[in-house]
Amino acid sequence: MTAQVVEDVWRQESAHVLAALLHRYGDLGDCEDAAQEAAEAAARQWDRDGVPDNPRGWLIRVASRRVIDRMRTDDARTARENALSAALPSDAHLSQAAGRSPHDEADDTLRLSLLCCHPSLSRSSQVALTLHAVGGLSTAQIAAAYLVPERTMTQRLTRARSTLRAAGAVFTLPARADLPARIAAVLDVCHLMFTEGHTRSTGDALVDSPLAEEAIRLTRQLHSVVPDHDEVAGALALMLLTHARAAARTEDGNLVPLAEQNRSRWDHRRIAEGVRILERVLPRGHVGRFQLQAAIAAVHAEAESWEGTDWRQITLLYAMLARVAPSPAVTLNQAVAVGMAFGPEDGLALLGPLLDDPVTRRHHRTHAVRAHLMEMTGDLPGALDSYRQAARLTASQPEQRYLNARIGRLVAT
Amino acid sequence: MVKYVIMIHSNPQPWGHPTSDYLPDYQVMPDEQRERLNADFEAMLADLREKGELLGGEALGAPESSRLYRWSDGKPLVTDGPYSEAKEHLAGFFLVDVDSQERAEEIAARFAGPGETVELRPAMWPGGSDQ
Repeated sequence: MTAQVVEDVWRQESAHVLAALLHRYGDLGDCEDAAQEAAEAAARQWDRDGVPDNPRGWLIRVASRRVIDRMRTDDARTARENALSAALPSDAHLSQAAGRSPHDEADDTLRLSLLCCHPSLSRSSQVALTLHAVGGLSTAQIAAAYLVPERTMTQRLTRARSTLRAAGAVFTLPARADLPARIAAVLDVCHLMFTEGHTRSTGDALVDSPLAEEAIRLTRQLHSVVPDHDEVAGALALMLLTHARAAARTEDGNLVPLAEQNRSRWDHRRIAEGVRILERVLPRGHVGRFQLQAAIAAVHAEAESWEGTDWRQITLLYAMLARVAPSPAVTLNQAVAVGMAFGPEDGLALLGPLLDDPVTRRHHRTHAVRAHLMEMTGDLPGALDSYRQAARLTASQPEQRYLNARIGRLVAT
Repeated sequence: MVKYVIMIHSNPQPWGHPTSDYLPDYQVMPDEQRERLNADFEAMLADLREKGELLGGEALGAPESSRLYRWSDGKPLVTDGPYSEAKEHLAGFFLVDVDSQERAEEIAARFAGPGETVELRPAMWPGGSDQ
């Protein structure tokens, strides 16, 4: 048996194992450590004896013993130990807990996600904790995905757990009135995780970080738990439609902008799924930012070329998005769409305020969009200036390479 | 998360670390004030480390201790430092990994001190948007 089998079982079961432990012992730090030790024990023992009939029950049993051992040896926790030894569960009780209903399991996943995205934590801690506790990724995997040393990631996870402890965060569903805001936080975490993964994706499974796929998996899980939450559905559609472009967005390590992508390399199965989810959710009424962004991605996905895109439709969707969730990024995309639908001068007119603002004036995309629109008007020296400014300001290596290539092409003409 | 390098440009006389011990701007300060600034700085570093924001950093040797490698006639030509004739030299650097540009700026401001220049530069990252 290979380590891969254990890893697959672990990824499948870790959230449920953790949930079962949290029901009993409450503290995320203790439970995660114990679950991790159980996973390591599984890797050794299953390799020798094979995977047990009920791997989840096995993991919960072993991890439970570890939590209790840990508490017993920890002098500072004597008081908690006394309370616990009274409640020491029997093996029979544990196996029963391992076979909980699908409904309970869905609840557990939601509870665990809500705990990891507790408002006492910073966004980056929420992301790291969610990947670890809900996604079952190891500290080393998360550290690699975020290009930081493993000890830094360990530090962040430890701090996040002690913050939760200090905040008195518990493994229960929040009050009904708080639920929408808490689910929105989980969604933001999934979307951030997705963006960080997708923008680094090369369409090459060997190079890609697991973040985008993990975000899709977690959002899919969340969607199945709260199917009536329109923005969860919208976010899932957005991720599917965006990541469908992963294979086409780079070529030989170079970034290929949407306008120039080979659309036959898009993942049409994912596009179909994203569109299907959107068609179900859009007519329901409340249309939030994820649904609108997904709708825009769907219009792109269904166009046979950049020029053949329904730009008027896209400008309408951006106008709605600018009302629901205004941001400089939305204005920039709106300017591109308006430029394509009604001419570059109209697009440039939208950029004025962003070029006057001292913060957005330092964003490379403000200048990249301006350059693109000026090139469309035929003002090549103006476009060149803006491309140069954009290339100087970006911190993205692939974008800088792309902008420099663009500059090279303009200089040569 | 975004990575930034925080570079401290300074001219301690004689060269030494912490640079504040060898800068005239610090030497004229009352002991109490200097000790408070040092304690604040140490507390800030501990805080960055504890939050998992500080990835690393080093204090550098004197500019005169550097060796310079220039290309000449198809091979490296080696000379002694300093590299730059500027008044201030790179005295040390810190690598941080933070949530946002705002957070990086907040941290960099806390590295600032009398008689030194702090430079905040983003590290390039390997990803990019196709939009």
